[in-house]
Amino acid sequence: MCDQRPDEVVRERAKKSLSALGGMCRDEDVGEAKALVEGLRNQRDYELMGCLAEAVSRQDPDDARNRRLYAQYLIDTGKVTAAIDVLQVLKRRLAKDHPEFGEATGLLGRAYKQIFLDAGDKSTAGARQALKMAIEAYRGPYQQNGSTWHGVNLVALLTRARSLGMRMAPGLDPAAIAGQVVATLQATPEAQRDEWFLSTLAEASLGLRDWDVIDRNIEQYVAAGDVKAFQIASTLRQFTQVWDLENRDERGRALVDMLRARLLRLQGGVEISLAPAELQRVQARATPYEGRLEAILGTYGAQTYQWWKTGIERARSVASIRHKVEGGRTGTGFLVRAKDLGLEPADELLVLTNFHVVNEFGASQGLRLEDAEVVFEAADPGTAYPIKQIVWSSPDDRCDASLLRLENPVVGIAPLPLAAALPVLEEGTCVYVIGHPGGRDLAFSFQDNELLDHEGPPVGQPQIPGVCRLHYRAPTEGGSSGSPVFNSRLWQVIALHHKGGKLGMPKLNGKTGSYAANEGISIQSIVAAIKG
Amino acid sequence: MAHVTFIHGIANKPEPAALLRIWRQALANAADPLPLGDLGVTSEMVYWADLMYEKPDNDISSHEGVLENTPEAVDAGGGALPPQARNAEEAAFLEGLRRQLTSMSDAEIAAETASMPLMPQGALERVPLPWFLKKPIMNAFLRDVHHYLFDVEFAPPGRPPVRIQRTIRERFVKALQSPQVTRPHIVVSHSMGTVIAYDCLKRLADCPVVDGLITLGSPLGLDEVQDKLQPEWSRADGFPHERVSGGWVNLFDRLDPVCGFDPVFANDYRKDGKAVVEDVALQNDGAWRHSITKYLRQPAVCLALKKMLGV
Repeated sequence: MCDQRPDEVVRERAKKSLSALGGMCRDEDVGEAKALVEGLRNQRDYELMGCLAEAVSRQDPDDARNRRLYAQYLIDTGKVTAAIDVLQVLKRRLAKDHPEFGEATGLLGRAYKQIFLDAGDKSTAGARQALKMAIEAYRGPYQQNGSTWHGVNLVALLTRARSLGMRMAPGLDPAAIAGQVVATLQATPEAQRDEWFLSTLAEASLGLRDWDVIDRNIEQYVAAGDVKAFQIASTLRQFTQVWDLENRDERGRALVDMLRARLLRLQGGVEISLAPAELQRVQARATPYEGRLEAILGTYGAQTYQWWKTGIERARSVASIRHKVEGGRTGTGFLVRAKDLGLEPADELLVLTNFHVVNEFGASQGLRLEDAEVVFEAADPGTAYPIKQIVWSSPDDRCDASLLRLENPVVGIAPLPLAAALPVLEEGTCVYVIGHPGGRDLAFSFQDNELLDHEGPPVGQPQIPGVCRLHYRAPTEGGSSGSPVFNSRLWQVIALHHKGGKLGMPKLNGKTGSYAANEGISIQSIVAAIKG
Repeated sequence: MAHVTFIHGIANKPEPAALLRIWRQALANAADPLPLGDLGVTSEMVYWADLMYEKPDNDISSHEGVLENTPEAVDAGGGALPPQARNAEEAAFLEGLRRQLTSMSDAEIAAETASMPLMPQGALERVPLPWFLKKPIMNAFLRDVHHYLFDVEFAPPGRPPVRIQRTIRERFVKALQSPQVTRPHIVVSHSMGTVIAYDCLKRLADCPVVDGLITLGSPLGLDEVQDKLQPEWSRADGFPHERVSGGWVNLFDRLDPVCGFDPVFANDYRKDGKAVVEDVALQNDGAWRHSITKYLRQPAVCLALKKMLGV
């Protein structure tokens, strides 16, 4: 495992490039900066991308591609109307046969589409006008050169407009355009298919209204071994925001859940925050298609879907630790069974959190037990459990753990299963964290979630006797303290999240240097400490 | 802790790390998932495709076995040429092995391939794929098995030839001696990999002992193969008890052509005359039943491995 990830390398180069462009720069510096703008876009590092694109524009204001990327930065950071201004000027100065003309027009469509999607009330004049402008923007390049990505967006927006009862572009038939897009894609020789081929095919299929074709194409897309997180994220956005598939029927919901699950299984997937109400909706969702899931989604899709549902189920057992009076979330905890920790009565349910979140005397900036309460927000947000007793604790320089007995028994929420072993350290091993980062809603932390190192067998060497630590990159922040850290496939707890560090976390196992990492305490070393 | 040593089968493969990842992912994606990494189980792949093929296959997704959309996805990649017999014994061996796959002559196959790849299959045809795919599969099977069992000196273009059996045996033994190995230690073999694993575990004195053996879609039931494993192999004493201290579970799909017409091992690999191999029939999906990822996703395979690993 290398110390510096590829995205960090790009960031560092971009920062150097930015400072080079601020001085007496050479043509090569500008050339490199242009390439880096695109690199930053690909890794969705939008703020730095915007700074660099701005700097490039000052050096080479005529570079149309850079202006278009700058507009993309503006859209992706919420400055959509500013993006429209940039793109309209760009469009006016470009000849229609300029390769950037179609790209800029399409991006203009995306900007208007975003305004429509962001509108709470889709029936307002502003929302309707934005939808109309988006359709027009995609329509031009599609009709001019048959571009499939303009075409697929046109299909999506026309379908949405029709479903909302809006009669826009009456001469255009979304199903016919979908058919043309699918035919164009299928006629594309394999060597000429780009990275968006399968996702465009999958989305265009939606417009055909033929579920057999839709299922087949989406299954092929989801099962593709080389599919990237940003592609699935983009498709997911389209399926939920534009196609509104989740509100369509069970079949549509199953497809969305599968895409979401696939996204989470890919390293570099986005962090997903689910409000308690949303979590409850997903959990409560009966799946009439569950029996037929495999037929619809294929073996792979069905398994991915089950995995996602298990993750959602686990979230029910994760609680926020809140200040009784002030009400703010200060940390996270999770439900465990006494028996799994070697305690009696075997079936009693207890809550495990960090010592620095709750302890008897409020040490280490934690809450005193009488000031804290526990709320299982995904399962039962209306019930706050006072804490009766701290059954066991270990200070923050050891296991950093407090085991809480609640005043009232928890009913209807399952304890989390504990893993018997730490995962094998190998390239691509991931962990997942569910907690309340920053005191916000329950979040699944799936982004950049590589397991970096641990002090467990077969080669790990605990530095503190009896305390086995692990390091991972999952981006957690304050409020995540006390979160369960899960292994990647089984959703078993492998560790208690203990602290996060953006930079400067000393490496484990006698390795020199430091890195950006989070630290957890192995659940089995906590179990061993409890058992004494 | 526990350890699994995998060994792959016929046809060209992706590079070793990718192949190992594919096998592990298939287990982790099974209906009853068995994610070895999550469970703290280490694993290693005995890789020998590089001895038979010029370069690894970079089309990783084809080997993940979800779709049967390329030759590589059905073990038809790599372009192996049919082996040439060097003497009458080898000729008889190859002819016998070939008969396990088809009753058609080369000329009939050529005619079939040229006319209509999707022509309905004859009654004796056990591989429901068009001949333009079946032909390379057959070539790979015949060549890889022949070169190993007859220890042919061979190399892909641009490399010095090596003795195939000797070199693969060395790799297998080395993998079993790896410092990464912890107990229980289980060998999981597929296809031709089972011939290699069995050969080493039964016939090589310097091969380490393992705790269990799981074989998937394997041709050990074929008379031609068994003949070449003598004198160490006999029906009454075929179980590799010398170097397998625990059980042997053999899983097969009756429509997997590589198993031939005798996919069951208990009768042929006895221990003290008793049938101890646990034969398990299962059903893979699709046209190509020999796919390793289809086997590894089967609940019965995961269950057998879980039991042996004690997880």
